[in-house]
Amino acid sequence: MAQVMMKDLNKKYDEVHAVKDVNLHIRDKEFVVLVGPSGCGKSTTLRMVAGLEEITAGEITIGDRIVNDLPPKDRDIAMVFQNYALYPHMTVYDNMAFGLKMRKFPKPEIAKRVGDAAEILGIQELLKRKPRQLSGGQRQRVAVGRAIVRHPQVFLFDEPLSNLDAKLRVQMRVELKRLHDRLETTAIYVTHDQVEAMTLGDRVVVMKDGWIQQVGEPLELYGKPANRFVAGFIGSPSMNFVDVTVADASGALWVETAGLRVKVPPALSGRLGAYKSQHVTLGIRPEDLRVASGSDSADYSFDTVVEVVEPLGSEILLDLKAGPNVIVARVEPTVRVKHGDKMRLALHPERVRFFDNKTELAI
Amino acid sequence: MAGRAGSGAGMVEGSRWHKWVFFHVPLMVFVVGTLFPFYWMLVTAFRPDGELYRPWRAVNNTPFWTTQPTLEHAIYLFKQTMFATWLWNTMFIALLSTLISLFCGLLAGYALARLRFPLAGGLGTSIFVTYLVPPTLLFIPLANIIRDFRLGDTPWSLILTYPTFLIPFCTWLLMGYFKTIPKELEECARIDGATRVRAMIQIIFPIATPGILSAGIFAFTLSWNEFIYALVFLSSPQQKTVPVGVVSELIRGDVFFWGPLMAGALLGSIPVALIYSFFVEHYVAGLTGAVKG
Amino acid sequence: MGRARDIRLAYLLLAPALILLVTALAYPIGWEIWTSLTDLSPLNEGPTAFVGLENYRRLAADPAFWRAATVTVVFAAVTCTVKLALGLGLALLLARPFRGRALVFMAIFLPWAYPASVSVIGWYWTLSPPIPTAYSVFMGNMKYAVDSALGGGAWAFLSVTLFNIWRGSSFVGVFLLAGINAIPPELFEYAALESKSAWRRFWLVTVPLLKPFLALAVFLALTTAFADLANVWMLTAGRIVYPVIGTHAYWLAIHGGQFGPASALSLTLAPFLITALFLLFRMFDPPEREPA
Repeated sequence: MAQVMMKDLNKKYDEVHAVKDVNLHIRDKEFVVLVGPSGCGKSTTLRMVAGLEEITAGEITIGDRIVNDLPPKDRDIAMVFQNYALYPHMTVYDNMAFGLKMRKFPKPEIAKRVGDAAEILGIQELLKRKPRQLSGGQRQRVAVGRAIVRHPQVFLFDEPLSNLDAKLRVQMRVELKRLHDRLETTAIYVTHDQVEAMTLGDRVVVMKDGWIQQVGEPLELYGKPANRFVAGFIGSPSMNFVDVTVADASGALWVETAGLRVKVPPALSGRLGAYKSQHVTLGIRPEDLRVASGSDSADYSFDTVVEVVEPLGSEILLDLKAGPNVIVARVEPTVRVKHGDKMRLALHPERVRFFDNKTELAI
Repeated sequence: MAGRAGSGAGMVEGSRWHKWVFFHVPLMVFVVGTLFPFYWMLVTAFRPDGELYRPWRAVNNTPFWTTQPTLEHAIYLFKQTMFATWLWNTMFIALLSTLISLFCGLLAGYALARLRFPLAGGLGTSIFVTYLVPPTLLFIPLANIIRDFRLGDTPWSLILTYPTFLIPFCTWLLMGYFKTIPKELEECARIDGATRVRAMIQIIFPIATPGILSAGIFAFTLSWNEFIYALVFLSSPQQKTVPVGVVSELIRGDVFFWGPLMAGALLGSIPVALIYSFFVEHYVAGLTGAVKG
Repeated sequence: MGRARDIRLAYLLLAPALILLVTALAYPIGWEIWTSLTDLSPLNEGPTAFVGLENYRRLAADPAFWRAATVTVVFAAVTCTVKLALGLGLALLLARPFRGRALVFMAIFLPWAYPASVSVIGWYWTLSPPIPTAYSVFMGNMKYAVDSALGGGAWAFLSVTLFNIWRGSSFVGVFLLAGINAIPPELFEYAALESKSAWRRFWLVTVPLLKPFLALAVFLALTTAFADLANVWMLTAGRIVYPVIGTHAYWLAIHGGQFGPASALSLTLAPFLITALFLLFRMFDPPEREPA
C-alpha cells in the first residue's frame, strides 16, 4: 500500500515532447484514472511509473522511495497490459506464479496465493490451460490474477479493457471496481474511454498533448470543467459549443450570435463583464437542454429547426440548427418530432458554461 | 491461413485441363528436374563396376536402372577410405559452428530487435551486409590468419571461420522473429521481477523456438556442405570433411572412382537431407515470421 | 532508469558476434586490400615490396582478365534471372496446399540441402561422363556441338550455369513462398473481386507485395552464384580450365603462391557487389530501419 508522487515529470523522445511538467499526488488506496485522446502522454506517464520508460526530467516516488533509477522489478508494482501479455509457453498457473517464483517465494505460499487469486476471479478451472486455449475475457482475468497474486504496492492498468467486446467490457469494468474495493491497493489506470474513467476513478486526470488539463473527482470534472477541452471530452454526447458575442442591453448582459440570443445567468455576469463586446464560447450539454414550455423564460430559450432525430429508447437525441449553429439536445422519449419541424428549446441557466476564446479556460 | 493465401496467390483456377497445364505439368517438371541427378547418383552408387564402364549399345544394357545392385562401392568407401572419420569430423564441425553461430545470433538479434542504442541501425545493416561477402573474396587472407594462429589442418580452423557466414543470417532471421513477439511480454516479465537478461532467456527465447530452429537448421546445412574453406584449410586425410574428403580422395589425378564417389555423396548427405525434409514447413514458417517482422 | 544500462547490455550482447565478424571479416578484407598493393608471395626472397596499383594495372592490361570478368558477370546475371523466375513459379505452385505437398517440398529442397561439392560430381558424371560409359558418346557430341557453336568452354560454362540454377531455384522458391504466406489473404481476395485476370492480379498485387522478398531473394541468389564459382573449379575438375574470377584467384594464391595479384583479382568483384547491394537496398528497406 503506497502513495505515488510525480514531480515535474517530463518525457522527451528525439523529436516529441510526450509528457510535460506532470505533477500528481496519488494517495494510498486511491484509484486514479488517466484519460485523454491517443498521443496525450497518458501511457507514457504510466510506463515511466512502471520503469519501462526512462524519465527525462522530474521525479517519481512510490511509497517513500524515489524510484527514478530503480529497474521495474524492484519497484514492487504490477501491470496489466492491453494485449494481456500472457506468456504463451506457460500454463495459466505458471503465468500467475512467475512473479512469485522470480521473487523466490516458497512453493506452498505460491500455490496458496495463486489459488486465492484464481478463486477471487473465478478461474480455478483454467489453471492447467495454456493462454491460447482461453477466450478474451478469460485471458483478461488471468492477466489481472497475475497482477494480484503479488500483492504489489501499486497496480498499473494500461487500457486493459480495450481489446474486449462492448458487453464484456462493461462486465469487467464492474469486476475491476469490486476488486479494487476489496483489495484496497493503489491503482493507476490508463484509458481513452471517458465512461471507463468516470465509472472507475476515485479521481480522474484528463490529459492532452502531454499536459494535465484537470484533476478531479468524476462529477467535479463533469460539473466544473476547467477548460473547453475537458468540457468537450467528458460527457456523452459532448457539450455543444457556440461562438457568441457578449453584449450589454437593457441593463443586463446577453450573449448573441445569428439565430441565438440568451441572457447571461446572474451568477456569471460578474465575470463575463470583462468580455463586453468580445467573442466567447458558450458551452451547454445536450442533457441541459429541453423542449421549451410556456413557463420558460424567453431570456433562456431560442428557436431551432430539427435536422436529425435519433431515438435511443430511453431518450431521443436531436440534431438541431439554431441559425447556422448545430446543436445536439437530449430530450424525453415522448417528444414527437421529425426532420424540418420547428422547435423552441430552453436551457438550464445555472448549467451554462463560458470559455475564453484564446486561452480556452472556463470563465 | 496458408491455404487461403494460396487460393489467391497461385494461378490455379478454372477447368480441369487448365489445372493440368498450369499446375500438374509444371510441378512434375520441377520435381523430375530436381530429382533426376539424385536418381542418377543412386543408380551409379549401386551399379557394379562391370556394368558401369560398359559401352553404349552393349547387350542387355540398362542405362536407367541396374539389375544387379551391389554394395561394393559403399564397402569400398568404409574400408578403403576414411569415410567414417570424415562423417564424424563433419558432424563435429557443423554442430559446434552451428552452436556458436546460434549463440552469437540470439544475443545480437535480441539486442538489435529490442534495445535502443546509438549505431543500432548501422550495426544491424553491416552485420547483414557481411553475409553477402563471398568466400571467394575471403579465403586467401583467412588462410594466412589460420596459418599464423597455427590452426591449419585442425577442425578449429573451420569451427571459427564458418560462423562468419552463419552469424549474419542467424542474427537477421532471429532479429526478425523477435520483432514479431509483443514487447509487452517482456515488459511484464520485467515488472514481475525478472531482469532484462532473465526475461530474455525465460520468456523471449522459449517463444522464439521456431525461429531458433530455422536458424539452426540453416546454419547446420551450410556448415555441413561448406567446401572451399575446408578445401583450403585442411590437408591431411584424417582431418577432412565429407564434401572435401570424397572429392579429393576419390579423384586421383584423372581417375574418378565413380561408384564410391556416388556412394559417398549419397551416404554423406543423408543426415542433412533428413533434417531438412522433416523441418521444411517449420523452416518456411520461421522465415515468414522473420521477414514479416 | 537504465538507458545507460541498456546501451551497455546491447553492446555486451553484440560483442560475441562483432568480435568474430571483425576478426574473421574486417581484418581479412583489410589485409586483402593491403596485400593487393604488394608483391607478397612465399616464393619471393627478401622483404615484401609495396608496388602500388601495379597488380591492378597488370590485370587491366590482361585480356584474360576481361574475359574472366565478363564471364563472371554474365554468369551472375543469367543465373539470378533464371533462379528468380523459376523460384517464383515454384512458390506460386506450392502456395496452395495439395495432397503430397510435404513430399514435393522435400524433393524440391534436396538440391539446396545437398552438399554442392558432392552433387556437383553427380552433375559432372551426368554431363561429362567418362569415355566408356553408356551415353558418353551422346554427351560428347553435345559438348562438341555446343562448343563449336559458341566457342571453346561454352559447354563447361553451360554446365555450371545449369548446376547453379538447379541448386539455387528451390531455395529462392521456398524463400518467396515464405513471402507469399506473409501477405494478408484479404488482399488477394480483394484483388480477386477487382480483376478477373489471374495474370493481371499477379503483376498488380503479388509482385508489388513480394518486393522486399524479391529483393532479398536476388541478394541470396547473387551470393550463391558467387559462392558456386568454387564449384566451377570442381565441375571442370581443374582440367577444363574456364577462367572465372574466383577460380583464377584460387589458382594464383594456393597453387601459384602469388598473394598480391590474387588479392587484387578477388577485389575486382567488390564493385559489382557494392553496386548490386546499393540498388537492392533502395528496393528493400532493411529491417533495422523500422522504429523500435
